[in-house]
Amino acid sequence: MIAVCWKWVALDDDVRWAGVSEADRAALEVALRLASAHDDVVLVVSLGPSEAEIGLRQALAAGAHEVLRIDASTELTSRAAAETLAIEIAASGPVRWVVCGDYSPDRGSGSVPAFLAAELGVAQALGLVQVDVAGPGITARRRLDGGRREELAIDAPAVISVEGSIASLRRAPLAREMAAKAAPVTVRPGPAGPLDDDALVAPFRPRPRVMPAPAGDDALARVRSLVQPTAAAGRSETVVADPPEAAQRIVAALRAWGYLADPGTISPAS
Amino acid sequence: MSDTVADAAPADVDVVVVGAGPAGSCAATVLARAGHSVVLLERGPFAGSKNMYGGVVYPRILDQLHPQWWEHAPVQRWVVRRSTMLLTDTQALTVDFRTQSWAAPPYNGATAYRPDFDHWLAGLAEADGAQLVCATTAVGLLRDEAGRVVGVRTDRPDGDLRARVVIACDGVNSFLAKEAGLYTATDAANYTLGVKETLALPKEVIDERFGVRDREGVDIEILGGTGGVNGGGFVYTNLDTLGVGVVLKLPALAAQSARPEQIIAGLKEHPAIAPLVEGGEIKEYSAHLIPEAGRSMMPTLATDGMLVAGDAAAMCLAAGIWLEGVNFAMASGIAAGEAASEALRRGDVSTAGLAGYERRLHDSFVLRDHEKLRRAPALVLSDRVQHQYPQFVADVVERMFRVDNPAAKPGLNRIVREERKRSGLRWRDLLRDAIDGARTFG
Repeated sequence: MIAVCWKWVALDDDVRWAGVSEADRAALEVALRLASAHDDVVLVVSLGPSEAEIGLRQALAAGAHEVLRIDASTELTSRAAAETLAIEIAASGPVRWVVCGDYSPDRGSGSVPAFLAAELGVAQALGLVQVDVAGPGITARRRLDGGRREELAIDAPAVISVEGSIASLRRAPLAREMAAKAAPVTVRPGPAGPLDDDALVAPFRPRPRVMPAPAGDDALARVRSLVQPTAAAGRSETVVADPPEAAQRIVAALRAWGYLADPGTISPAS
Repeated sequence: MSDTVADAAPADVDVVVVGAGPAGSCAATVLARAGHSVVLLERGPFAGSKNMYGGVVYPRILDQLHPQWWEHAPVQRWVVRRSTMLLTDTQALTVDFRTQSWAAPPYNGATAYRPDFDHWLAGLAEADGAQLVCATTAVGLLRDEAGRVVGVRTDRPDGDLRARVVIACDGVNSFLAKEAGLYTATDAANYTLGVKETLALPKEVIDERFGVRDREGVDIEILGGTGGVNGGGFVYTNLDTLGVGVVLKLPALAAQSARPEQIIAGLKEHPAIAPLVEGGEIKEYSAHLIPEAGRSMMPTLATDGMLVAGDAAAMCLAAGIWLEGVNFAMASGIAAGEAASEALRRGDVSTAGLAGYERRLHDSFVLRDHEKLRRAPALVLSDRVQHQYPQFVADVVERMFRVDNPAAKPGLNRIVREERKRSGLRWRDLLRDAIDGARTFG
């Protein structure tokens, strides 16, 4: 089975402006192509209120084989949403692929696919811009910084998330479109929380960190040491290391730059 | 191009209504209530998403379908002030009428956002049992081997939908009606281009500028102010926006190579309009063709297996002081639904079997008003009415009210004589137009 996770977002009370992201729609198209290649079936899961069934019926019309709505708030934290999705997906049968969009219309953190992979205990490949079938697995291309791309060979089971530009969801045949309107949608209860704290939804800012006093004999030299481009050159380095050592170096660098709290301190967001 | 299908294939539904505007939704409601299977096709993502208009909805015809409709219709304001304005470059003459009887049920007219109003009306059709299918465009007709219309082809995969009757409510420039051969010819002179800006202003500012409160609204129809292009203008109040726009005769617009948005900008700068719209933030710009020529451009209304209603049948009434469209669309949709239902019950959906449609329109205000006012569009859009009369009338009124002391007041007859001579108007043209006007509006 291939599971697709759709996030239904209503930006206000008017259902006309509600829906799923183009990335979610692309995820369904990718899943339908995988299902066609691997002779598999597609389950679309949406976690949200009853209006989310409008989207699920669109998925049915486009070709999804099964749909499931988990009756819970779309304001669940990413971890709670992923835990819930993982339980329901695992309960639906053996899953080869979980395909998600890499963003939702409300521009959340985009972290549910990663949490989902962790909950399911499977590999993850996120932010894909190309997916091709390769035997029983897939090859994919992922966007990196600086215009670079990363090519991946991925075997099932895995969670992948795709950008909206990767594919356009196919037009539903007329008969399926009409039949889907009255199709039953399976609904399972979801948790009541925990919910995202509005106060925590803000652009990420590195923590303040203690800076050494600028070096220099006079004021001008101290100012130069702060603002000269060469002053930051030490922040970039290329190392060759095995994965455990590389991970330690990365963590140390993030801590030095203020993106991670020092061990034993309590961050403001925790 | 029409596609021929085998006669033996059964119809998927009794009726397919193309277009979930006011005409289509009313037709679908009538048919669903009569127990017929009916599919309502809408090309937009929801009903009303593709629609715009430049004036007032007169929904009293809905009394037939939805009693007490005003309690839940999504209107912006109930129109209690109706102004007709003549504009020249520097002058404005306004006839302003106000009545509080239009501020209470059953009301008279209302301003509304069409995406709200049409969405609501289509929802009522769905509630009555019609199946609304959105994001689906009817791209052609299906015909049987005898040439009868037996359905539509949509833009979806496997998109043929067979129906015993097709009701084309696909709006102005109806491709289905043209494909069916119901329009013998189309002439650009029969159409105007309506363009509109929606300007946001705080409700209390609109209330103060237009002299209204609560849900009271104002409709201003304008002759002149269109930069020399034959047509007219309008300003109307929504709750916290204004609709400001112009309606422009297509050949005149093309001849002047004028940009519609520049003409609206000119209207907004007119001394009589600028204080009303000042500070408004543009929220939307939209444009739409209007079938302006009335009865003279209407197509044949029925053929074997097919009816045409609403703007698709040029039902819009543009008769100078009466500018109505949505009510004519709804009424024609109701009549089409009733006629189709009657034909289905009798098992005869041929042209003769569907003749009840035109008969119903003749018995209602739809064709009665159009017949009575059939000369109005040409008269209202004529060069004299558009360009010479507003200047002549405004000059007469200006002199009437001008105090030229120590000179004594001239008599009204003398003013009219002198201004007529200055305007270049000929007595015989004045007389001819007066007779035409009396015949048209009398």
